[in-house]
Amino acid sequence: MSHSSESLDVIESLKKEILETNPTDLLQFCANYFTRLLELERSQFLSSTKSQKPNMSGSTFPGRFGTHSNPFGGDGGNISQQVASGPISKVMEEDESDTITSPTTPNFGFKAGGSTFGPPFGGDASGEGPPSSFKAADGFPSQYGMGRRTSVSAESLNPTAASNDNWSPPYHHKTGEQLERLKKSISGNFLFSHLDDEQSAQVLGALVEKAIPAKGIKVITQGDEGDYFYVVEKGSFVVYVNKSGSLQPGPGGLGDEVATIEPGGSFGELALMYNAPRAATVMSAEAGCTLWALDRITFRRILMDSTFQRRRLYESFLEEVPLLASLTKYERSKIADALETQKFPAGTTIIKEGDAGEAFFLLESGEAEAYKNGTQNPVKQYTKGDYFGELALLNDAPRAASVVSKTEVKVATLGKDGFQRLLGPVESIMRRTKYDEGVEEIDPLHKK
Amino acid sequence: MQVHRRISMKIREVADSVFHHGSQSTPSPAEMAQQTEQEKEFIAHFSDVQRPLPPGEVAQNPRNKELGKSSKGLSVRDFELVRTLGTGTFARVWLVRLASPAEEDRDKVFALKVLRKVEVIKLKQVDHVNHERSILADVAGHPFITTLITSFSDHDSLYMLLDYCPGGEVFSYLRKAKRFDENTSRFYAAEIVLILEFLHEREGVAYRDLKPENLLLDAEGHIKLVDFGFAKRLGNSERRRSFGRGFVDKKSGETYTLCGTPEYLAPEVIQSKGHTTAVDWWALGILIYEFLTGYPPFWNSNPIEIYKQIVSKPVHFPTEPAISPEAKDIIRQFCTVDRSKRLGNISGGAARVKEHPFFKGVVWEDVYYRKYRGPIIPPIRYPGDAQCFDTYPDEKVGREVYSDELKRKWEDHFKDF
Repeated sequence: MSHSSESLDVIESLKKEILETNPTDLLQFCANYFTRLLELERSQFLSSTKSQKPNMSGSTFPGRFGTHSNPFGGDGGNISQQVASGPISKVMEEDESDTITSPTTPNFGFKAGGSTFGPPFGGDASGEGPPSSFKAADGFPSQYGMGRRTSVSAESLNPTAASNDNWSPPYHHKTGEQLERLKKSISGNFLFSHLDDEQSAQVLGALVEKAIPAKGIKVITQGDEGDYFYVVEKGSFVVYVNKSGSLQPGPGGLGDEVATIEPGGSFGELALMYNAPRAATVMSAEAGCTLWALDRITFRRILMDSTFQRRRLYESFLEEVPLLASLTKYERSKIADALETQKFPAGTTIIKEGDAGEAFFLLESGEAEAYKNGTQNPVKQYTKGDYFGELALLNDAPRAASVVSKTEVKVATLGKDGFQRLLGPVESIMRRTKYDEGVEEIDPLHKK
Repeated sequence: MQVHRRISMKIREVADSVFHHGSQSTPSPAEMAQQTEQEKEFIAHFSDVQRPLPPGEVAQNPRNKELGKSSKGLSVRDFELVRTLGTGTFARVWLVRLASPAEEDRDKVFALKVLRKVEVIKLKQVDHVNHERSILADVAGHPFITTLITSFSDHDSLYMLLDYCPGGEVFSYLRKAKRFDENTSRFYAAEIVLILEFLHEREGVAYRDLKPENLLLDAEGHIKLVDFGFAKRLGNSERRRSFGRGFVDKKSGETYTLCGTPEYLAPEVIQSKGHTTAVDWWALGILIYEFLTGYPPFWNSNPIEIYKQIVSKPVHFPTEPAISPEAKDIIRQFCTVDRSKRLGNISGGAARVKEHPFFKGVVWEDVYYRKYRGPIIPPIRYPGDAQCFDTYPDEKVGREVYSDELKRKWEDHFKDF
């Protein structure tokens, strides 16, 4: 590679400048020289193109080297043509009167020395401002924090089953009446609403009673680390928020009274997700109050252990399905991820002979039987770990038998649609191994 | 070419002598000093022959394998701390140069991430920092991921020496520009798609903290993904499968620790359902939205309200700015609560993402080999120029000490550094 005449020109003119000026700090002089040169060159270029916006343009953001049309803006051709073709990929700028400088100046976007960004948000703020309200003026949500966002993390936990320690969730007895009340107060909460019966029962069992005997006891203190979630059983509590973000000493240190929490109400739910500073102080408003408390580690372990166990169960079930024998562990894990649990009382027809087959089922608990039209006795029995209807994944043939639950059953199910979305057509998976022989033996629902 | 070969041979020699000291007895002070010098030589020149290798060769390449190894000879005294580039809850990243460098290495600069053991333990991030070190070591050499050159430790800190990305955070450019146009957004999104394809499908790694703050620009304006503090190896990588038939991968495909950044958390993370690499595709949807509008789709000053929106509300697009139907579609497909329908996670994986109309016309091979010109060329005046980074206050004095008691309990957990 030889230097182009252009680059020689640049060096020549630098030499001339140096000779003329005889600078004391040579490097600084060269740096300044090139900065100036670049600025000049770019601004000349800007004025030569028909850029829509005078102080900002994509012209310093040329496209790509190459001959294809450019998906990132601009048209095709070689690089010099692209540069000449004007704005290619430009950074949007809404407001021309703000402090954004041109990217062609050395300080593009940055004020020397200081952060120009607002205070970081994140953490546990006090919840002012309506969600996603949009300011008409510039399209930005009002009160939108523009600062860097802090990452959050809970303690890293490993599933009990994987670590071999025998953890079981704590259990604290409650009366039926108490349980009903608790269920009602947490049922609408997004952290609980998706739990299955088992998880729900374990979480309710783990809530521990906490007596707050006197008035004026701080249950949580604004700014402190958060570890527990509380449901009010008896009495009432007052919520205070100090605008400084934490409880301050002296009178008025509590801040403003913002709410009262009555029996059935709850507070401190963020602590169930990760350790963030408390957003408010909560204090008992009378003597003789009672709370139910749940800590983060317990809550997360309950959810994690039950999910982990169910996932492994599903994966081991799936391993047993010959149709899916050629799936990799990763693919089985994806299917396990998408399986949905359904419960049926005894005597329910789960699939009906003659219907179009759309989903397959793994029997998680209980028993079921297959019947064919015209026969009195079941043609097959299913127990935990058995599966049926998997041929629906393969073709649209009608169900060859009905399956009826004998006891209450819990099944995990996945539709053909979901299966194909995740892994593509079953036919291509089938091609990996032979599955033509023995189908009849494996599944009585298969019709030749 | 000749030069390249010479340098790479030299690096190999240095690396061999530095890292393959095997079962030798404790080296003498003179040997230690020599080793330190060799390590300094290695880190000063690692980038001389750095060029993108095909994705399948990144982790296999012998030279890349030398990157990210733990150093036994280096200490923080071998570096001159120039200024802070960023801070986190338990880490601080410094711009550094070699202390007493060779004449030709005077302008060599690096980013040194310093983690205080006490803070790491207190914040229960011991597992996370170990994952970060080992995953960064494995992926060193990918064109769009920060390169871990080496790591070392001393009594109270852990150190990761990384390549310096002088362009600063995409976050800063985004906030300054308020929003990016679709071409700019597409450029960054495309490079991120290649990162996720590599991490998920080749390495089996979920990144878990995608956001503009963690995307840096290199001198040419290409993305470098940084901060692997939440990255986690899951049991589904090509690399693991390639160990052969008998290899049983004991790791499960999902993980449970809630981590990330509130606005970017996927619904399954919030609801503790066990999460997979699918969380990164969700976050990419949020990211493209934020590129195009200047703010994330789910936002509130109270994080609980953000989480309620994430699990229950569809992404809503403002009327201003106008967003193309292709962009809206890819955002909606990424931000799909049902993981069996989420783009990136469904069959075809990243290949399907690349085919989406939003990326129409993109030549992916050219993206990978950095043939597209970056939409923002950082204004860099000299190698160690840090004007693209914000300034940060000094470290607080009076930090907690790493006591002997803590050391007895935890030191073994940090042995890989």
